[in-house]
Amino acid sequence: MTHAVRPTPRRLDAFTLASEPGNERLALARVADSVADVGLEAARLERLKTAVAEATMNAIEHGNGNRPEIPVEVEVTQDGDDIIVAISDRGGVAHANSGDHEDPDLAKKLDGEQSPRGWGLFLIRNMVDAMDVTTDGHRHTIKLTMRTGGAAHDEHV
Amino acid sequence: MTSMCEATTRAVPGAAVIEIRGEVDGSAAAVLTAAYKRAVEAGHAGGDADSEPGTVVLDFAAVDYINSTGIALIVSVLARARAERRKVVASGLSAHYREIFDITRLSDFIELFPDLDHAVSQLTRPAA
Repeated sequence: MTHAVRPTPRRLDAFTLASEPGNERLALARVADSVADVGLEAARLERLKTAVAEATMNAIEHGNGNRPEIPVEVEVTQDGDDIIVAISDRGGVAHANSGDHEDPDLAKKLDGEQSPRGWGLFLIRNMVDAMDVTTDGHRHTIKLTMRTGGAAHDEHV
Repeated sequence: MTSMCEATTRAVPGAAVIEIRGEVDGSAAAVLTAAYKRAVEAGHAGGDADSEPGTVVLDFAAVDYINSTGIALIVSVLARARAERRKVVASGLSAHYREIFDITRLSDFIELFPDLDHAVSQLTRPAA
């Protein structure tokens, strides 16, 4: 009996961004470049870009408080069929990437019972195959996984 | 690398068209609010006492980015339009943003058309 050998994870890119509103666009562009050759289908790439932008926005705004001197760290890794984007800030446990928020309800929003905002985490969860959040002291990381061969939430398409 | 949001309004029979260009994010709030107000105040969307409530067409054909804050702005426009008994339709969304309109359920409240021509021809078609 033989066992398939799982390849060693390969880092595709790692970079930091100043915590300034709008820099999420830099993150999504650079992540898109870094995964250009891994065979991610176009629609899934668009989903990953949206998830990366939303997670980076949260890191900038809620994690690092829009303070440019505190960097957001982004690392892109390929692990077998998985593309993993890890986005870290210094927000600790108490910010919007923590994943324990109520899902937005559009009907309630239209009736004024919920704020029109609050779509970020909901979008992230629906765009990627997996979302994991870890906190180590002040360091808070959201890890987005997109499988190159899989299909994130294709029931929506 | 960012392109600021711009919006222009024009009238078609029974509806106002708001053509949006650039990015629909937090910086688009004033632009979208002003465009909606302009469209409605100019009477482009109809809705006077003698007619059916008007329709607002949001055309996204020249939009290259919508984020969660932009979704919130669209929700606000939709909420205001519904309060005024106006219908909102959308055109020109890419496949990706159509999917986001589905996931957020915006497409339950906003009819989607592939492009502005389809939206306008549907809106101006005489009732059967």
